[in-house]
Amino acid sequence: MRLLLAAVVLAVLSYVAARGAGAAPPLGRFLDPANGVWALARTAEFPARSEVRLPGLTAPVRVLSDDRGVPHVFAASEADAWRAQGYLVARDRLFQLELQTRAASGTLSELLGPRAVEADRAARRRGFPWAAERGFAALDSSVLIVRAARAYAEGVNSWIGQLRRAELPFEYRLLHARPAPWRPIDTFYLFLQMGYTLAWDDETLNKLRVRDAVGAAAAEALFPLNSPIQEPIQPNGQRSPRADFLRPFPPPGFLSTESLRGRDAAEAIFSPRPLDAIGSNNWVVAPGRTAAGYALLAGDPHLELSLPSVWYEIHLHVAGGIDVAGVTFPGAPGVVIGFNREVAWSFTNTGADVRDHYAEVVDDAARPARYRLDGVWKPLELRVETVRGRRGETLAVDTVRFTHRGPLVRAGGQWLSLRWTVFEAKTPGEEFLRLDRAHTVQEWLDGWKDYVAAAQNGVVADRAGSIAIRSTGWFPLRPGDGRGDEVRDGSSSASDWTGFLPLAAYPFARDPAQGYLASANQQPVDPRANPHYFGVNWYSPWRALRLNQLLRADSAVTPEAMRKLQTDPGSARADAFVPLLLGAAQASERAGQGDTLLRHAAALLAEWNRTYTRENTRAVLFEAAMTALPSLVWDELPQEMQSDGTARPVLLPEEAILLELAADSTNTWWDRRRTPAVEHRDAIFAEALRRGYLHTLRDHGPPEGAGWRWADAHHANIFHLLRIPGLSALNLAVQGGPSTLAPSPGRGTHGASWRMVVETGPVLRAWAIYPGGQSGNPASARYLDRLARWQAGQLDSVLFPANPQDLPAARVRATLLLSPRP
Amino acid sequence: MRSGLGFLALLAAFVLASWLGWWAIPAVAALWGFWRPAVWRPLLSAALAAALAWGIWLLVDFLADPGAFARLGRRLGAVLPLPLPGLLLLSLLLPALLAWSAAALVCGLANVRLTPEGDNR
Repeated sequence: MRLLLAAVVLAVLSYVAARGAGAAPPLGRFLDPANGVWALARTAEFPARSEVRLPGLTAPVRVLSDDRGVPHVFAASEADAWRAQGYLVARDRLFQLELQTRAASGTLSELLGPRAVEADRAARRRGFPWAAERGFAALDSSVLIVRAARAYAEGVNSWIGQLRRAELPFEYRLLHARPAPWRPIDTFYLFLQMGYTLAWDDETLNKLRVRDAVGAAAAEALFPLNSPIQEPIQPNGQRSPRADFLRPFPPPGFLSTESLRGRDAAEAIFSPRPLDAIGSNNWVVAPGRTAAGYALLAGDPHLELSLPSVWYEIHLHVAGGIDVAGVTFPGAPGVVIGFNREVAWSFTNTGADVRDHYAEVVDDAARPARYRLDGVWKPLELRVETVRGRRGETLAVDTVRFTHRGPLVRAGGQWLSLRWTVFEAKTPGEEFLRLDRAHTVQEWLDGWKDYVAAAQNGVVADRAGSIAIRSTGWFPLRPGDGRGDEVRDGSSSASDWTGFLPLAAYPFARDPAQGYLASANQQPVDPRANPHYFGVNWYSPWRALRLNQLLRADSAVTPEAMRKLQTDPGSARADAFVPLLLGAAQASERAGQGDTLLRHAAALLAEWNRTYTRENTRAVLFEAAMTALPSLVWDELPQEMQSDGTARPVLLPEEAILLELAADSTNTWWDRRRTPAVEHRDAIFAEALRRGYLHTLRDHGPPEGAGWRWADAHHANIFHLLRIPGLSALNLAVQGGPSTLAPSPGRGTHGASWRMVVETGPVLRAWAIYPGGQSGNPASARYLDRLARWQAGQLDSVLFPANPQDLPAARVRATLLLSPRP
Repeated sequence: MRSGLGFLALLAAFVLASWLGWWAIPAVAALWGFWRPAVWRPLLSAALAAALAWGIWLLVDFLADPGAFARLGRRLGAVLPLPLPGLLLLSLLLPALLAWSAAALVCGLANVRLTPEGDNR
């Protein structure tokens, strides 16, 4: 009996230990204290002194890690520095490296299994593997980015090659997987993925649906070519924002309100486009407006927040060459945002329209093999994409088709080909390496003049006191009216892009009279100054308005003031809409339509100082009212059913359009189609306030209770890459709200991914932070060590030693010597 | 005395074998079960020694960097459907059961095969 019991126990335990059970990883390998997950505690901190042989190095590389976990790399050549960088990033972020690259290459299923099949198929249908393979194969090994990517890959693979079992990152243990070798082409995939994050959004098809529903004039007013509030990136000489409001604002066209009235249509739950989903800020102040007389620069890129961070901080020093510090994406050699001894820089996303659709005529609606161009049938490039699983099994096979423009996709019953500037980039990431070498603003501007995508607003300052900003990237030139917010006829080559905007036409300013430059994803240039087409439907410029307002008001800016600006709790959006809400309540009162609820709501809102501090107890009411507003105003817009059974509009106008419409108080748009009465602006704003108050009472309790505290009502969330709650930082109370300079949108998953202030004085000084920490190892103190300070809006002083001896010994945590392998 | 030394030898074997991987625990225990040294409750000793061996590994890591160990334990406890004490217990129970079952199985099989010849080691 005991024999049988022992056999059963041994068999079951051996199976669970080797294979796992259900979602549990193989318990033997997982719990094994010598090399299993517990061993991560042993590898959480680096040895105080260590030496490693690294293949490919031409000379020894010394790496000093400081108390913030930032490696300072002292190398004899750029190639050695990139090689060391690959090694260090792999050491700290190996799983992240692989995961984000697989997301772009459509091979997530090989790591995560069938759950990732649809994501992989989508990545392949977008043409990412097609573009990366084609682009990489076209380059020879002398190209700068190829040399850098190869050196970087060697470094990554050196780490993987000598990876001890105890050092295997936690995520691989959970997934029962091993790291894949890193390929130079993976750096290309990384930049494709960044292009997807920053420049894929295109609402052309949705805008066409709106046009079909409400008419061309109305659709153009709702999603206009130019922002109705002009505070451009390139200064336009004005001392305040300019309102370019349409008068009259075009009403809905085809569908009269009368015809809709009484229609049995449930009022849709409108979910506005997440505010500032990838909004970013940067600004630079000339010496004449700073207290110390040195130029100051702030970088504040906002991205989806993750643990570990999307950024990796590093300092690369090459004897007689680059000496640059800042952040880069794991997988990208060099520094993307940061500073060297002479120059500091940062980016925001331009949000330009760089992706176009072409309706193609194909030979077979189901399985096209050819497309018609200028009366001639052309063969489609066919690419069979096989998505494989963890054991190499086939999970899906798709044929992806390409015209000369790009990938062909089926949408709305027609075949559309896409052209996208991100696919035009021949040497993605190379320009960042050139920026690392710049000594002056001019060299910096020259360094990325050929940059393709995704278009960025780059600010720069140098130690000579010069400042500049330029929106850089390839902006397509299109035939006809030049606009990209339409589906063009693919059967004619006359529809194709005719070239790209010359550099001289890029939005640009250098050393302006106003003494500062700022960008916050607003329309980059005043159309009166530069009529070229850059895009449509720009983000509401609330952050730009606030930023310019604060910078105008301070003629003696300090680094501390720059830091405080990054988490400024004020809101131009609140300044614009609170008076409308309060005015509407008063108007209702005067018209005899007031009630206790509205009076109470208005009184509470009037108490608000229009800031989003964590302790504020009135911002929550304003946000509830603003959330109620779109459903009341935009009920004429076409909707589509969501998977949760609710109807949502296919596209909602920006709130700046709402403000523009507010100048036309009796416009038909204000009328709610479900009610027999004809509403005007004030009735709608009053109703929004009333509803917002009711929702706030329902969700947060009475106004005098703690539930209205902003920190309790609104949170930031930073998820682990695999969205494992236990490894995430959730429900973080942060200062800021929708459209403040530190925007905290609805879902709370985006935010300031890197905050940096640099003073380009005689000795360059920098302060910076990102949420999370340098290490991807959850046992490390550097997994989350920066979070509390980031949450509080604080910055760390950044060490930038000119040589190893300059790094204070008390702040050195580990020294690593990388030696050439003979 | 001899029994104690035998136990210590087994413990040392488990500690060292753990470096090879979890599978070394049942392998060493199987040898132990086959050998059946004259120690107190040899099968229970195998289980205890295996648990102790893994416990020593964990203790060494804890003493080397208590902060890292605590952070890891806290986060593992949040990730896995087990609180930290349960996870630690599982980390000791797994080798114990593997060792006991392997030793008992081999010991039993050896008895079945050897007893007819009168071997009663």
